[in-house]
Amino acid sequence: MITDSSGGLRRFLLPLMTLFVYAFLYIPIAILIVFSFNDAVFPVHWNSFTLKWYKQLLHSPEIIQAWINSLIIAASSVSLSILMGLGLIYMSLFVPVRAVVRMSYLILVAPEIVLAVGLLSVLSYLSVPLGFGSLIVGHTLISLGFVIPILFDRFSELNPNIIEASLDLGATRWQTFRRILLPQMTPTIFAAALLVFTLSFDDFLISFFCTGGSVQTISLYIFAMIRSGVSPVLNALSTVIIVASSLLVFAFCLVRVKSRVF
Amino acid sequence: MIEQEAKFCLRHVKAFVLGVPAFIWQFVFFYVPLFFLFIISITKSWNILGFGSITMANYWAMLAWAPVKIISASLLMAVMTTSICVVLAYPVVYFLCRYVGRLRSFMMFLLILPFWTNFLLHVYAWFMMLEKHGLVNNLLIKLGLISQPVSLLYSYLAIVIVMVHSYLPFMIFPLYSVMEKIDKQLLEASADLGATFWQTFFRVIFPLTLSGLMTGVVLVFVTSFAEFVIPELVGGDKFFFVGNLITHYFLVARNASAGAAFTIVSSLVVLGAISGIYAFVRSAMPGAMRGKKL
Repeated sequence: MITDSSGGLRRFLLPLMTLFVYAFLYIPIAILIVFSFNDAVFPVHWNSFTLKWYKQLLHSPEIIQAWINSLIIAASSVSLSILMGLGLIYMSLFVPVRAVVRMSYLILVAPEIVLAVGLLSVLSYLSVPLGFGSLIVGHTLISLGFVIPILFDRFSELNPNIIEASLDLGATRWQTFRRILLPQMTPTIFAAALLVFTLSFDDFLISFFCTGGSVQTISLYIFAMIRSGVSPVLNALSTVIIVASSLLVFAFCLVRVKSRVF
Repeated sequence: MIEQEAKFCLRHVKAFVLGVPAFIWQFVFFYVPLFFLFIISITKSWNILGFGSITMANYWAMLAWAPVKIISASLLMAVMTTSICVVLAYPVVYFLCRYVGRLRSFMMFLLILPFWTNFLLHVYAWFMMLEKHGLVNNLLIKLGLISQPVSLLYSYLAIVIVMVHSYLPFMIFPLYSVMEKIDKQLLEASADLGATFWQTFFRVIFPLTLSGLMTGVVLVFVTSFAEFVIPELVGGDKFFFVGNLITHYFLVARNASAGAAFTIVSSLVVLGAISGIYAFVRSAMPGAMRGKKL
């Protein structure tokens, strides 16, 4: 038994503080969603139910273009970073690659703005035009910082005896990689891809520095819209993104991957 | 024999070709740019044709009042955000781990969700709440606490609120992952032996969760120190932090040399601050951090 003096703390204060944190995290989001269905230009007072902001969302070529751009960039950086991560795992069957894995940790902990300005200054020094290319380069870089640690974390958990047995029994390293490693790592690869997709899709800083004004992503669009003030179309857009993200997290939780990086 | 050797060689080449891009990508797009930032910070002028002479002027300029003030303001903001996150995260994580059974994974799902949604949306949600005709003002007027709407947006308070909202999950996850592993019998034993709740907390729970806490502290501290978006959107143009000044140097003033010097100096400051925190924890609680690396 915990003594009496803490009874109040345990019984009232702890649940109360937990409730406060959940309210703090979710009340703004709930209000954001509610007002996306509100029939008023300024989402301040409740008027009446409407779906017109969602219709407007579908009819805005700017927003649709931003979605497409974000999708292209996210899909490219996911495939590039996953392929490079798997290539590195294959290489680790031949030579130790711990140094390269260590390198990726610094990407993970360095402030993103340092990554962004570094990349920007090198690209502008070499007069490389900014656009899709530079965005994909930057997004793939942050993705690598997550993909490599996650993949190698799982790789180190695999039973080394099975890999050795496979090699002993005459399988080539490539066969071992294809038939033994890949099947065991599929859930982790899937989870890492999902995480990196979200990261790229939601990324703002790298995009802000490396777009050069030519390519609009969804995050850049939202940033510009917030700057110009409150608008119900933005509420509708936010609601769509929140729903899509919840589905992704749900998928992630179903895969249930234990990894050190979230 | 020769054929086999050739095959062996070919396989190595294949492994090399598949594995090396991961290295090259990181090296060319992260490590080279870092070095490049250092180079341009110590050269007078630079363009595609080459670099000018070496100078320390960019670093001397950092000793002026403005950069020093901005770095201190960012440090203060990072300390504040981190402390509030610690204070909010501990009770929630403790409550979830000790008293919530069946609902726990769902409640964790609710905490993970904000991390997965575009954080600009969270900024926008608060933007709506804090606006002059927003919901907080309306509520305060209805409650009779104020008669005129007060400007909550574009204030220091707004920045702190949105920072804490955005970075709280970064504190909760690592803390949860260590709190979850604490054997409940330990807490019972502590209580049985006559320790009060606070004694149990400081002598048992705190040391056992220190490693997770430190991970959370580093994550929140570094990200909030370099934050650019939140002050930009909810702070108006009144508050300037490290992230804003870096952006200003690179995108507005187009002074990459000064920007690079400032980026390097602030990175060193944040690195120093974090090593300082680690050194303090190591000396204050020897043993608790044994074997734990950053």
